[in-house]
Amino acid sequence: MEIGKFIETFLLPSPQVEHVEVIPPRGPQYGDLEHELCPPLKKYLQTHYIRLYTHQAEAVDSILEGKHIIITTPTASGKTLAFNTPVFHTLFVDEDATALYLYPMKALANDQLNVLLHLEKATGIKVFSSIYDGDTPQNARAKIRERSRIIVTNPYALHQYLPWHQKWARFFQNLKIVVIDEAHTYRGVFGSNVALLLRRLRRVCDRYGSTPQFVLSSATLANPEELSRRLVGEVCEVVSKEGSGRGQKFFLFWNPPFLDDHKIVRRSPHQETVDLLTTHLRHGFQTLCFTVSRRMAELVATWAKNMLAQEKDDCADRIATYRAGYLPQERRRIEEKLRRGDLHGVVSTVALEVGIDIGSLDSVIISGYPGTIISTWQQAGRSGRGMEDSAAVLVAFDGPLDQYIVKHPQKFFGSSPEHAIVDLENPYILMGHVLCASAEFPLTDADTIFFGSQFSEARQELVKERLITRTPRGWIYSGLARPAEVVHLNAISDRTVTVWCEGELLETMDFVQANREVYPGAVLLHQGETYLVRKLDLVSMTATAEAKTVDYYTEAQEVTDVGIVERLRTKDSRIELSVGDVNVTEHHPSYRLKRYDRVLGHRPLNLPPVDFESVGMWFTVPPEVEDEVKESGCDFAGGLHAVEHGMIAMAPLYAMCDRWDLGGLSASFHADTGRPTIFIYDAFEGGIGISEKCYELFDDLVRATQELIRDCECEEGCPSCIFSPKCGNDNRPLDKQAALILLQGLLRQI
Amino acid sequence: MPSFDEITRRWKERVERAREYEVVQEDGEASDVFLESRVSGREYEQAQALLRSLLKRYQNVRLADALPGEMISNPHGSCFHIEHIDQWPLFNFSSEQSMEILLSDLKLLYGIGYVTEESLRGEGFSTITHLKDHHVWGTAAQRFLGLLQSADTPKLQNWLWHWLPKSHPKALCLAGLHDVTDFLIFDIETMGLFGRPIILIGCAQPQGETLIVHQYLLQEVSEEPAALSEFCGHVTKRTALISYNGRSFDLPYIRERLGYYGQGGVTECAHFDMLHFARREWRGSFADCRLTTLEREVFGHIRKNDVPSALVPEFYDVYLKTGNIGPLVPIIQHNRQDVITLANIFSELCRRWGNGDW
Repeated sequence: MEIGKFIETFLLPSPQVEHVEVIPPRGPQYGDLEHELCPPLKKYLQTHYIRLYTHQAEAVDSILEGKHIIITTPTASGKTLAFNTPVFHTLFVDEDATALYLYPMKALANDQLNVLLHLEKATGIKVFSSIYDGDTPQNARAKIRERSRIIVTNPYALHQYLPWHQKWARFFQNLKIVVIDEAHTYRGVFGSNVALLLRRLRRVCDRYGSTPQFVLSSATLANPEELSRRLVGEVCEVVSKEGSGRGQKFFLFWNPPFLDDHKIVRRSPHQETVDLLTTHLRHGFQTLCFTVSRRMAELVATWAKNMLAQEKDDCADRIATYRAGYLPQERRRIEEKLRRGDLHGVVSTVALEVGIDIGSLDSVIISGYPGTIISTWQQAGRSGRGMEDSAAVLVAFDGPLDQYIVKHPQKFFGSSPEHAIVDLENPYILMGHVLCASAEFPLTDADTIFFGSQFSEARQELVKERLITRTPRGWIYSGLARPAEVVHLNAISDRTVTVWCEGELLETMDFVQANREVYPGAVLLHQGETYLVRKLDLVSMTATAEAKTVDYYTEAQEVTDVGIVERLRTKDSRIELSVGDVNVTEHHPSYRLKRYDRVLGHRPLNLPPVDFESVGMWFTVPPEVEDEVKESGCDFAGGLHAVEHGMIAMAPLYAMCDRWDLGGLSASFHADTGRPTIFIYDAFEGGIGISEKCYELFDDLVRATQELIRDCECEEGCPSCIFSPKCGNDNRPLDKQAALILLQGLLRQI
Repeated sequence: MPSFDEITRRWKERVERAREYEVVQEDGEASDVFLESRVSGREYEQAQALLRSLLKRYQNVRLADALPGEMISNPHGSCFHIEHIDQWPLFNFSSEQSMEILLSDLKLLYGIGYVTEESLRGEGFSTITHLKDHHVWGTAAQRFLGLLQSADTPKLQNWLWHWLPKSHPKALCLAGLHDVTDFLIFDIETMGLFGRPIILIGCAQPQGETLIVHQYLLQEVSEEPAALSEFCGHVTKRTALISYNGRSFDLPYIRERLGYYGQGGVTECAHFDMLHFARREWRGSFADCRLTTLEREVFGHIRKNDVPSALVPEFYDVYLKTGNIGPLVPIIQHNRQDVITLANIFSELCRRWGNGDW
């Protein structure tokens, strides 16, 4: 049976389908190159029967003309070939030329290396493509620097290598093209850091006499011109019109049924996901299922396996889980099996959302709205082989955000994807990179080209603190620690916990995650097997687990708290508004034992809280405003919570960040202020300037938030106003009316 | 938006928090070199006390009055030069000793192993010289002899490292092919582990029965190019560098700083890194193989008022901040003593290994 027929017969009649969007098929459009490719590439395309699609031809021509470009066509449209072709052509024509490929994560670099090695072999063009990152063995490094013409790495590694530019002299001297794949991941604070890292790269290249061309590739987003210009500092031509053919795609919004007559409780979306997945598999469709957490990925796979095993269906053995934390070899194995068709069902976290080559599948099940339109389309794009039909099913969770999306499909299908914001003027980030640059080689006035108009002021202040020193050769770094070690591109901690089972490394995870998932007593799910965690040693950063079959899983209770460490400034107004150092604590007082969705019991946990210092702004609600909300009969706590969400939603407009760069907390009573309080803090250790900007622009932010919520057509809140995709309390409680009264009250005080 | 000065202060705090040494409770064990980045609680306290007393003693004292030296200038700027003559001749292998040791090892030729060597000896080929007309090994033997005759130690070093560990006494034997005046014993003091200015370069050249120690000090960081250039001026193709971990640290560091200023490189020459040899000789004999440990245990010299290597950056930073030259005094002494001890270690090992008995 074809997938289209399957959808029509088995899924569409169901009352659970809130919406179906049929995306029509489109025939492929081929383009002709204006440029003549070198003979080996021409031959390669011929012998592999490759005809370039219009967007590929357009990209190849533009790159060969020397333009900077950004390609934003969807997943599986052949973006890789579109930039690899001109890169190889350039490396063929100039035997010394080199190219740098940047990937946001190591798994993608491995994947790309295979593609490059294949192309190298097939064309006979010698480039010695290599990966160079933290995993590269010491003894292989010098050789790669000396002879590789394509080096694949990631921004974190590049940040560490730039100070060693002399060892890379040959590579940088001859650098012709920089490929930046998955460019949409470089947004918010991370994106701003990467943008300035790329300024440092250009500055180093400039010193070695090269001016590389930038080729970006990205998921579809609202502002590709702006993102690319900010990221690389050059105007990039946008290649967005896709020429590859697509089959018809059915995009379904699926809402679990109510279990009671009063329509209050819906069936578990996880069970619903398992049912959908097994239905697909029983009919022989290769299906990829995305879940919102690692634990859910493991559970959904296990439940689906059990269900199929009971029916004695062989498919049970062809289901696997895929997520971060697995060892690289294990991930490679799953990717390979998926590509070969040995696996029929894979349940994955967002780890497979990016461009790892797993081939195309028949169907994708998205269990829970991923939070952004960009992500949703990336995940949905994983299904569809050539011109064959394909399906994507979004299973809605119970929370208001998911419910809103499935009830208002036009808000999803009719909206452009999110904006990717990159801020080059955040003085925190700018100064960090000016420091790094000063340790690469002396700064001069000419560096204004790279660091913008604030450069000289930043430099002057750094001189005052003696972090840099003026010399006849320029401004040189004179601090006591390596700036590349002090400046972090992302909030991800570099502390990794390893999990061991009988002396063997089972998996690795981030420190914060380990506190949530491998505490003593926790059940760690790994590829469907259950492991009971015995010990978590935070000194040696190891956890010990034993393989043990248990029929329950565990879930740690999570309490986030924000405490005021020091008030730096307070605004003189009738609202008590402050900015200062805050301490953000994540604490796990207990965990629950669960079977399916049923809670079997609670156990206390005795782990030290995980905390970090940051900078936050906070304000208290004046008593008369509080009274006003309460007297109106609205839910005050829901109002506070809604205002917090609304302000965080609007902050990116004022503070040039991504909403994921901020954290928030609202409390009807906060111990440090003694009043109802809303906190907005930077989700980066030490702070990164965003909440300070919110503090400065507080009046505007409150006004904009009020307008946002007031003008939103929804009745009780929606993702466009007060629903947050990253809310730890599942968007509860929220009260739109209370929020409006509260905001009006605040505005009167301003 | 917060002002630039406030943000700069935050960055300054972060930089200061990220110090590169750790104060440990006890003198724990660790590998020799990395030990340099650990300071025991007691050492730390002593160093802080030293710093306080120095700041008091040298208040308002000018550099030239406290340290016998003078400003020197070159096209790259100026720096402070201190010269010190030490009555400690350098002992080296004789060239005959070296030649004998090297030539008697047939295995230094590519393709000859223990078995072949044994049978060649049986045929009467007891040295590489005997092999120079051999129908199989002749070409290789002649190449090796050629390098020996021209005393091309940099190439010979590479040749030897192919077959022998870097710490092998034969690798030190090559020193015998040099006149003592070729040697340049050097050690640098820096503001950290890479990426920051070198604040002092000490290098010593044997002359007759003495060792002349030159020290190039930065009175301010802008003097680094001049100091680097002075050091480079000591290095010629015939130079044989002697260092302690200099192959991994000091020399790459100097190269990195030269590159930082776009100032050319250091002339390629032979380099004897004594850390490898010292470890072979003394590993297991003492708590570790730090230079100061060997100085104490082998030569019986005990330093007074020394600044631990890891705290040199902080001492120098105090000097920069206050302009008080006190903190410079122990840095200069520390560096000079390191260079002298290094010369002693070299002499001691040449003496111990000179008879080919190891």
